[in-house]
Amino acid sequence: MTFEQSQGVLQQVSRRGFFDRVASGVGGAALAWLLEQDLTASERRIHDLSPKEPNFKPQAQAVIHLFMNGGPSQMDLFDPKPELDRSHGKSYFDKIAGEVESPDSAGLLMRSPFKFKKYGECGMDVSDAMPYFSECVDDVALIRSVHTTNLTHEIALFQVHSGRTLPGYPSFGSWVTYALGSENQNLPAYVVLDDPEGLPINRTQNWQSGFLPPVYQGTRFRATGEPLLHLKREYDEPDRVTFEERQLQRSLDQLHKDRRPFQSQLDARLASYELAARMQLSAVEALDFSQETAETLKMYGIDEPATDSYGRRCLIARRLVERGVRFVQLFINGQIWDNHNEISSTLKSACEKTDKPIAALLKDLKQRGLFDHVLVLWGGEMGRLPIAQLPGDKDERKAGRDHNKNAMVQWLAGAGVKSGTIYGETDEVGLAAAVDKVSITDWHATVLHLLGFDYKHLSYPRNGLEERLTGVSEARVVQEILS
Amino acid sequence: MKKLHSPIGYHPPLKSQVFRIFLCCAMISCANVLLPNIIADDKSAVDENFYSKTILPLFRDRCWKCHGDDVQKGELNLSIREGVLKGGESGAVIVAGKPEESPLYEAIRDHYMPPENEGERPLTDQQVEFVRRWIAAGASFGTAGDSATITQHDVIPILWLRCTVCHGTHVQEGGLDLRTKASMLKGGNSGPAIVPGQPEESLLIKKIRSEEMPPRRKVVDVSIKPIEPDETDTIIAWIAAGALESDIPPDIATTDPDPLVSDEDRDFWSFQPPQLPTVPSVVHTDRVRNPIDAFVLAKLEAKGMTLAPEADRQVLMRRLFFDLTGLPPTPEETSQFMEDDSPNAYEKLVNRLLDSPHYGERWGRYWLDLAGYSDSYGVQHADVVRKNAWRYRDYVIRAFNDDKPYNRFLTEQIAGDELADYEHAPVITPEIYDNLVATGFLRMTPDGSTANITNFVPDRLDIISDELNVLSSAVMGLTLKCARCHTHKSDPIPHRDYYRLSAIFKGAFDEHDWLKATKETDARGPWGERKLKFVTTEEQNEWEANEKRIAEESAKLRESLASKESEYNKKQLETKLATLPEPLRDDLRKMLTTPDEQRDDIQKYLATKFEAELKFNTDELKKLEPEFQKLADEIDRQVKALNDQRRPEPYIFALWDRGEPSPTYIYKRGDYKKFGREVGPGVLSVLTDGKTPFVVTPPWPDAKQTGRRLAFARWLTEPNHPLTARVMVNRIWRHHFGAGIVRSLDNFGKTGDLPTHPELLDWLARMFIDNGWSIKEMHRLMVTSSAYRQSSRLTEEMEQQDPENMLLSRMPMRRNEAEIIRDSLLAVAGRLDVTPFGPPDAVDSHPSGLVVSQGTDLGWRRTVYILQRRTQTLTMLEDFDLPQMLPNCVDRPISTVAPQALHLMNNQFVHKLAERFAARVKDIAGTETPAQIEVAWKLAFARKPTIEENQIATTALKELSDQWLSQLSVDEKKSTDAAAEAAEKALVNLCHALFNSAEFITID
Repeated sequence: MTFEQSQGVLQQVSRRGFFDRVASGVGGAALAWLLEQDLTASERRIHDLSPKEPNFKPQAQAVIHLFMNGGPSQMDLFDPKPELDRSHGKSYFDKIAGEVESPDSAGLLMRSPFKFKKYGECGMDVSDAMPYFSECVDDVALIRSVHTTNLTHEIALFQVHSGRTLPGYPSFGSWVTYALGSENQNLPAYVVLDDPEGLPINRTQNWQSGFLPPVYQGTRFRATGEPLLHLKREYDEPDRVTFEERQLQRSLDQLHKDRRPFQSQLDARLASYELAARMQLSAVEALDFSQETAETLKMYGIDEPATDSYGRRCLIARRLVERGVRFVQLFINGQIWDNHNEISSTLKSACEKTDKPIAALLKDLKQRGLFDHVLVLWGGEMGRLPIAQLPGDKDERKAGRDHNKNAMVQWLAGAGVKSGTIYGETDEVGLAAAVDKVSITDWHATVLHLLGFDYKHLSYPRNGLEERLTGVSEARVVQEILS
Repeated sequence: MKKLHSPIGYHPPLKSQVFRIFLCCAMISCANVLLPNIIADDKSAVDENFYSKTILPLFRDRCWKCHGDDVQKGELNLSIREGVLKGGESGAVIVAGKPEESPLYEAIRDHYMPPENEGERPLTDQQVEFVRRWIAAGASFGTAGDSATITQHDVIPILWLRCTVCHGTHVQEGGLDLRTKASMLKGGNSGPAIVPGQPEESLLIKKIRSEEMPPRRKVVDVSIKPIEPDETDTIIAWIAAGALESDIPPDIATTDPDPLVSDEDRDFWSFQPPQLPTVPSVVHTDRVRNPIDAFVLAKLEAKGMTLAPEADRQVLMRRLFFDLTGLPPTPEETSQFMEDDSPNAYEKLVNRLLDSPHYGERWGRYWLDLAGYSDSYGVQHADVVRKNAWRYRDYVIRAFNDDKPYNRFLTEQIAGDELADYEHAPVITPEIYDNLVATGFLRMTPDGSTANITNFVPDRLDIISDELNVLSSAVMGLTLKCARCHTHKSDPIPHRDYYRLSAIFKGAFDEHDWLKATKETDARGPWGERKLKFVTTEEQNEWEANEKRIAEESAKLRESLASKESEYNKKQLETKLATLPEPLRDDLRKMLTTPDEQRDDIQKYLATKFEAELKFNTDELKKLEPEFQKLADEIDRQVKALNDQRRPEPYIFALWDRGEPSPTYIYKRGDYKKFGREVGPGVLSVLTDGKTPFVVTPPWPDAKQTGRRLAFARWLTEPNHPLTARVMVNRIWRHHFGAGIVRSLDNFGKTGDLPTHPELLDWLARMFIDNGWSIKEMHRLMVTSSAYRQSSRLTEEMEQQDPENMLLSRMPMRRNEAEIIRDSLLAVAGRLDVTPFGPPDAVDSHPSGLVVSQGTDLGWRRTVYILQRRTQTLTMLEDFDLPQMLPNCVDRPISTVAPQALHLMNNQFVHKLAERFAARVKDIAGTETPAQIEVAWKLAFARKPTIEENQIATTALKELSDQWLSQLSVDEKKSTDAAAEAAEKALVNLCHALFNSAEFITID
């Protein structure tokens, strides 16, 4: 028997039973092997969520992206600017016209209303708005020189989430799940924990799969109640009845399939119903905090009014990556970091909602040993300007800051990250990244690198092009922040 | 001036070496003879202007094609001073003072350049001599110095980018127009804008320098960015050097062969016009119903295979229904076909389905995918709704139903506004209306220009690029995107061609004169919104009549209420007066009817005393007179009902040529701030013979429209166009046979798939054209073939010999698309409202993320009529792989994932429809189980259940009834209705199980 023949036999034997085995829960590695071995070329075009091998050995296998909607102010949190203190009240607008979204409300240079101190062994500057984060500085790598392309939320969000400035491109999480599949077939591979209060700007487009197959789209998970759409019956029926109906449907589908040999899509469909049943159990279990200690719940700030909502989502994020979910993304409603007004209080309140839960998540991941394969990302879509933004009555006590595309902060923590790193600098007033600049494209390439991919080699054929997360841009992996 | 390097290592390419040496010898021998013949006139004396007057134009005309801004063969660019000095890949090309050592001189003297073997003429002896003299005299760039090459072409695009929004086509603030040198010299209210040679004296520079212009606080309002320092420098240098105007014309195709695309490039199969091939002869002639079968069989037989057996009659019927109308057959339709034993029953069914109004809804949807149809703009969070986009959707559906010839269909969509002078038409006919609505085709992409902050020039260029991408991927089957930034890496599409093509669209898509998506007001008054008023005269009249009727009827109602009010007023007055002393009554009546100013003192006195209590306002009257209250409420209701009949003023969402397009410059690397050569309108060179100019004429005498798009549409629909017909027949094929003959539907280029059956593709393309571009004729041809009528049953032989079905050894089994699944659920449940056309049905967005459609009085309409807002996609469609239209969708992916199962199992709406399905079954079949099962199968699958299925269903119904009964208390069970009720519920379960079954959503 030639090799080709033996392959042929293997195909016939194993392909027929393949999806039955998926249905009966063959493990991830076996699945990957089966996919490689068993499928004909046409079937390899079927996109699924089985685990896949990266280009090279990865540092990180799962990602928690803490997305900070609105654009946190870098010079009020992590990037103190003594020159701003000195030049407070000086005019600056004419140097930056065209870079200001609302010229009518542009004021003078404005110092930070927050006090900075150095923390940890690395001596990282953190303002007094983030007391909990300041305890974690030795576990993160902070980049102070990130810049983006547009100063309006919609476009800046597209840039962060899909690497492009137009809707329609696959999100970061979709690329990662397309590349790596999932370790847990009973849960979605890419979970979005959006704010129960409402959808962020760009709504569900933030986690769309664009031209990648829809199976890689982010799945919204609700923090309370039923986590997924259609997870439970939306009508009244005794469980026994439902069970009987499923049995009936299964028998009919089995007959249908038996009359149509070799049609693997029918196997896949049967398997999808089995998977749906298992997902019903797994998804509910992932949200069940009864196994968590009171201490853990307290650490995340659960049941405290300010932190309950975000704390729950942080804890769910940990539980999901523990269960093999590849990409977890947290969104916040209400643009809490978009501090156009009264930054002294609005920024503080944003920190009060998120600071404690995020610090808890870092500590929790670390103490559970999850830092060896989970990567945590923190950051928004843009930064803010060094000049004040004033309300209609020009009352300086109500001053906030307008959007800034030229400087922003992102930090990373966990797998593969050189902890306690402070990287990059902005100019003297914090208007623009100046030293060791990092574009959003660089940031994407760096995260892909941590996941075991060369950004140039993660592509999808479309319209005659090999599409990439980073488009045609050249990118730089920021080696300096990697361990 | 930079010191020139010696020409070490200059090597002409090998292939011309021998030729060159030969020429070299020949030339040297006769050089001395020729030289004395050159007449040296005074004008050609090598003075300061020699370079700009003589050498630059020479380089431009004879060298730039291959050594210019767009193309730099051998890395040599002779269009700029730096390029001449730098030389090419082999080093410097001129040595100042030493022509004999200058490779450039050597090459032109020896006629090695311009290359004769590529069809170029050599330079004249005089031209060669000019170059020799110029180099000999030191190769000076002359008075112009560094600015020698700065012309209006370096400056005009900057002014378009930064200034013309207020000093240009529509608005000339301060009377100033900055579009041309002449208009700058003329200047505005404060005098000329430029003083050639004196930048410091030029108002333009002063205003820029002082940062007064562009006004810093206003730039964002008009989506302009402040001018950049290097741009100011360029303008200064240009003015300093005398504001030179070069007479280089825009780059367009001429009768000279195109240097950038060779005939060899054109040899690729898809760039050659399709030829009618010979139909092959085959062994299994009994299976040949039409030539399609011969082409398919020939390939199969070569592999020792043949067509799969013909599918069952019932399978064929269901396949046809879903394929052509997207709806399952009703029991009546099933009987009509299954009981028709005439020999042409199948062909009759095909005709019935092609004549069905549902055909256009099914096939129009595919076209809407290609256009990227959407009822909203997207990009911005507000996701502004396009109120009149639905007219385009209706146009497409009607066009398919009417079998509008494809060439006409394309022409209307690309250039409908240039087909008739709609602005001066006495009557807007349905045809003119259709022409304009059709242009919505290139208005469908996501578009952020609803807001200033996402309406900058690069944002607009992205939109234009998306629209060109829609056009090229949908219609031309080519990938054009690459050429926006550089020459296409795999297909022979030069960077230049992208910009020539964008120049065709400039009259409608002008990045410097952008028609905003939302309403604007400025010096020219209100504008924007992309809507035209030219709905049909009939619709306009109807709308006006309706408005008038509502206004009149409302007025009548109000009048009747008013007269009733005065009656009640009188009545109340009398009631009140009756309570007052009799002698006063007459005087009071008189006082009330006398206007204030005419009252005498007594009346005035009476007024102060009694008027307040004798006058009743409407609210008081309503309280006093319950009858009046009732009447007023009724009339309010009627007026409101009338107002509900009002319709928004009808507009067309369209794309139209506005005349006066800005000049088109190549953007180097796609960067809107790096201008290359100016180009004129033109088509892709590779799809022409390369030596035919693109001719544009005004669409009618004195038209303001450029006529460019119309010329393009005419070119695109020429019978010999290599791609148009092939791309379309391939798409029709794909939707009937599951895969295209060229599998990459949007890419017929070198990176696309090769056709599996090239002769068949060409035969179909020729048939398509010869049948007057009739799409329905194509359907008829395809679905009546034996290839289409094959069974989808897979065998081991097929699996081994044709695993990917490249040979079409069977019909592929397919899962229905998202819309078909939803429409089928509604149809089988008897809840499909088949009302076509009109504004889309609204959707409800639940906090949970679920998006559902709102129903009508008759149920729910077909999915194609539901509002398609980018941010609110129906969850059912999303779960079943509806793609995002970003910018369009060239082919739909199919996935099989758990959320689909969860949706069909647990969704309330699906369950409700199962209840309606069950009620329908009971209505038809009564309460007997066998009849119920038979009817359920017939409705869901258009067939009878098998014996085995019957047994399973019967047992299950019994089990389910028992389960439902067991839920009841002992007392409830005693009721006679209990068993019947349980049986009804069990029937709902059966129907719900059928909705969830594989057969329901798959086509054999």
